[in-house]
Amino acid sequence: MQRIKFLDKMIDGKLSRRQMMQAAGAFGVGTLVLPRPSVAAEILTCLEWGGYDSPDYFQAYVDKYGAQPNFSIFAGEEDALAKVLAGFAADVMHPCNYSVARFVNAGVAAEIDTSRLTHWNDVFPALQTAEGVVWEGKTVMAPADWGNSSLAFRPDLLPPDFAENPTWGIFYDEEYKGRVAMTDNEMAIIIGAMVGGMPYDEAYKLEGAALEAAAKEWGTKAVNTSKFLWTDSSEVQQAMASGEIVAAYAWNDLVANLRNEGVPVVFAKPKEGMFTWFCGLTLLNTGKADEQAAYDFIDAWLSPETGKALIEGSGYGHANMKSFEIADPEAIANMGITDPVAMMADTIVFKTPTDAVQEGFNKVWGDTKALKY
Amino acid sequence: MSATIEPDTASRPRDAERMRRWLRGYGLLSPALAVIVAMLALPVAALVLLSFWTQNGFELDRTPTLENYAQLVRLTDEPTVWFGIPFYFSYPVPAILMIKSVVMSLSATIAVIALAYPMAYFLAFRVHKHKALWIILITIPFWTSYLLRVFAWKIVLGFNGAINSGLKALGIIDQPLEFLLYNPGAVVITLAHSWVAFAILPIFVSLEKIDRSLLEAASDLGDSKLKRFLRITLPLSAPGTVAAALLVFIPTVGDYVTPTLVGGPGGTMIGNLVQELFLRQNNAPLGAAVAITMMLIIALIVAIFLWAIGYRRIRARRA
Repeated sequence: MQRIKFLDKMIDGKLSRRQMMQAAGAFGVGTLVLPRPSVAAEILTCLEWGGYDSPDYFQAYVDKYGAQPNFSIFAGEEDALAKVLAGFAADVMHPCNYSVARFVNAGVAAEIDTSRLTHWNDVFPALQTAEGVVWEGKTVMAPADWGNSSLAFRPDLLPPDFAENPTWGIFYDEEYKGRVAMTDNEMAIIIGAMVGGMPYDEAYKLEGAALEAAAKEWGTKAVNTSKFLWTDSSEVQQAMASGEIVAAYAWNDLVANLRNEGVPVVFAKPKEGMFTWFCGLTLLNTGKADEQAAYDFIDAWLSPETGKALIEGSGYGHANMKSFEIADPEAIANMGITDPVAMMADTIVFKTPTDAVQEGFNKVWGDTKALKY
Repeated sequence: MSATIEPDTASRPRDAERMRRWLRGYGLLSPALAVIVAMLALPVAALVLLSFWTQNGFELDRTPTLENYAQLVRLTDEPTVWFGIPFYFSYPVPAILMIKSVVMSLSATIAVIALAYPMAYFLAFRVHKHKALWIILITIPFWTSYLLRVFAWKIVLGFNGAINSGLKALGIIDQPLEFLLYNPGAVVITLAHSWVAFAILPIFVSLEKIDRSLLEAASDLGDSKLKRFLRITLPLSAPGTVAAALLVFIPTVGDYVTPTLVGGPGGTMIGNLVQELFLRQNNAPLGAAVAITMMLIIALIVAIFLWAIGYRRIRARRA
């Protein structure tokens, strides 16, 4: 019997240090005592948005590895970044054009070798070179999904003159207190400043006293008017479906999902403008898994099949041009637009703030929320 | 004088005996001590250390400084008015949230004791058969996860939730009540429900231990039922009640998940600020300083509370 032999040997003092460590390792002691030996089959760890952890979006990866990667879901890029900086070992992260620089500046992003991605040549050329995909001359994000952030509202629960001339001002209007939901980030302040007449190009880089003033005026109003500040898109979708809220800051998926349920909803083009974002996969240098697995995961995201699932399932655009050839034409028509370049020309594309600006926004927004009662 | 024992010779074996007992005592304690050191003392020490550093962008500046604590108490001439109270702090958020958390937590504690005491009283004095079964029945809802219970309240209090649809079906209201969820009140209700089982047991134990002959004596000597309760039952059950109150108050002040789920922006507590500082504002040192200050303030409140109710006297009477 192995066990008795082991004990006998140990008592007789015949056990070598190596055997002792091996036994201890079986109980996990080794992870504390020994330097970590390299393990071949470390599972890929991805930081993802809620909902994007569905295998529909990386089926090719599942087919190759026979299993899903590990996911850690975040509510906003700043949360994910803080988690990585605190020592969370992730291999892949899903930032957006305006936030990827934060990961590069923090020194956790790695350059992507696009020749290792089989679908790279099918990506819209405009996206391949867009700011955010390329940062400081290096490709740091493989663009995957794109879409809008705008005002979604229930036309049946709002007066008709609002539907004719929709405005972001509804989030700062005392009259709609408790019936709208802003997103839980500094966009509440930026959009407020835009409602106040400031162009986005100035509002996104507010700093110092001007930022404090904007936060005090617009941030406070948004926090007080909102029923809740949403961090999870299913939460805001349910609230909007039930009529608890009549307007929300939303992404395309909210509109697609509610229409599928038969709830009347309009994805407005407010007079202050609607926003466009594009997001993608960034390789992190904190991961422990094999780099090839990370590339396979990214490549799976760029595949036209993923694009089809994304267009039909969520109403988002995809970076691969071929996705639009195989997706259901009706879903594409519902989405309204097939060309990211045309969309970007027509809307406000999110911009990348400097680190100092982003940190200022993080602090001011946190303080504004805390002061509500 | 053969009965007198020389102190020198006698004390040595006694010392050895004491030593052995001491060793045995600590030997028995050592697993618990090891867990406490590894899981509590070391992290707290790390937190204290962290609070003396500063965050500089993505870098951690390891020069020891009191700057984080200074930031919490630095004054300014321009007050931030919150609930009509002017706060003369240049960074008023921690102070405001601390006060708010203590008030919310105290309300929850009072609600818990008000709910738990009658239940414990019933168990101790009115239930004679199958007491263990009753206790198990009372704790059954608490076998589910804390998170699920909080979520359940979200469903109960929600816009289309149990209360609103019930009232609507009865025709009492035609529009759902909107003030139920996403405010401090929702947090207090949820906390009160989540913690009530933890309060029932200590109160029950102290009620159960009361010598019934004291109650008989009080009645024989002419006390009314109310007077008997106030003079005998209540004071003798005080240690359990105090323990229950502390058991609820201390963890709920720093609760984070309940305000996150049912509080909305208005229901935030100090725990949310700590989370926000660590995970969103990327300022772990300041978060650590807030956490340490919060611990000290809670310890102070508990000490004042125990002193005010004369806990030492209560304990002495029980002994």
